[in-house]
Amino acid sequence: MALSNQADPTAEVQPATGDRLHRRVALSPELADRCYACGTCVGSCPASDSVPGWDARKAIRALALGLEDEVVDSKWPWVCTMCGRCEYNCPQGVELTKTFRACRGQRERDKVPGTLQQGILMNLERGNNFGIPQEDYLQLLAELGVELEDDPEQPCPGFYVPVDKVGANLLVTINARVPYTEPDNLKWWWRIFYAAREDWTLPSVNWDGVNWALYTGDDASMKIGVERIIENARRLQVRSILYPE
Amino acid sequence: MFDLLKEYFDQGRISVDPTRHTMSATIHDPCNYVRKSQKAFGVHYGDMIRWLAAQCCPNMVEMCDDPLNNYCCGNGGGAQVMPNDTERLAHGQYKAAQIKATGAELVISPCHNCRDQIMKFLAKQCDMGNYKETKYLWEVISDSLVYEPWSDAEIEAAHTARDEQFEGFGVELEEME
Repeated sequence: MALSNQADPTAEVQPATGDRLHRRVALSPELADRCYACGTCVGSCPASDSVPGWDARKAIRALALGLEDEVVDSKWPWVCTMCGRCEYNCPQGVELTKTFRACRGQRERDKVPGTLQQGILMNLERGNNFGIPQEDYLQLLAELGVELEDDPEQPCPGFYVPVDKVGANLLVTINARVPYTEPDNLKWWWRIFYAAREDWTLPSVNWDGVNWALYTGDDASMKIGVERIIENARRLQVRSILYPE
Repeated sequence: MFDLLKEYFDQGRISVDPTRHTMSATIHDPCNYVRKSQKAFGVHYGDMIRWLAAQCCPNMVEMCDDPLNNYCCGNGGGAQVMPNDTERLAHGQYKAAQIKATGAELVISPCHNCRDQIMKFLAKQCDMGNYKETKYLWEVISDSLVYEPWSDAEIEAAHTARDEQFEGFGVELEEME
């Protein structure tokens, strides 16, 4: 059942039938009292005109009425970027981003848009979103290290990339997209570490700091990803973890 | 990471040359480090981002009344790996308009998604006035660094550690030297 946004006088409006007994998104019942549909969220939201038939106010209203399938099946929760500007301005403290993320989580995994689910599965299986093998990863780090050390414009004598250094001060994670598509971009942070004489290290496994399960509303997968980084930190007995994403 | 960079400055561990980025520069506030950090942790990094940028950029201009109120760039929530180009553009037009209004040539964007959105997407589709380039905050700092040379002893120790490390991993370094 489509909720009509724009005035189409010829469209037939069907009665809404919400299943309040078997809620999946489990919105707090108090929400029906709190959100009074003022539309401040819509006024704050840059995605307001992006999805025909939907905006933040409509989506919250639909959920409060038990029309969960309509929201979960729509594009709305996936076009919302979870920026939080709506709830920053909401006079009633409605937690919209958490709610829309929960809607994302309710979708069947094979209906998750784009390559998010594939990336998550790849990360769970191989330790990074793009499935870069460890051998290639280590080889790349060695080569980039030499390149940076001998950089023609601004060399860094003595630079190399520490990997699995026990007792380092900082464990650093990497956005897998960077070694995959723009490996030179790793050097910016590395130069800062070099200049600061930081005692840092990368892990040899599970080095991807990006967690797409955050985006897909998949807490179970998200937890695994985070646990692996923490496991690295414990294994290497570092003081702190740095996520420069 | 902003805490770390601030620490490096406060402790005198890094120093930068503010003559390398004299163009008009503006900060884009990544939602997660500012607005959502405030929500989750009760603190946000908007002011610290500006402090760090100001060490390198003498000519800063604001795009918004308050870091907490700044617009999302349009690429959050995994937008880049979903077929959402139309929506990304519709969303990003507000960011593009903000950038144009500042007259800035450099946008400093401390987030991978935001930087990609502004640099690779909005810059190609929208009129952003004087806009020339986007850099990460750490990129600006990195490009501004004034290095204190390592001693021969430090270099030698590092080479020893490096060779031992990569040998242990079975990575051939000699081919590259």
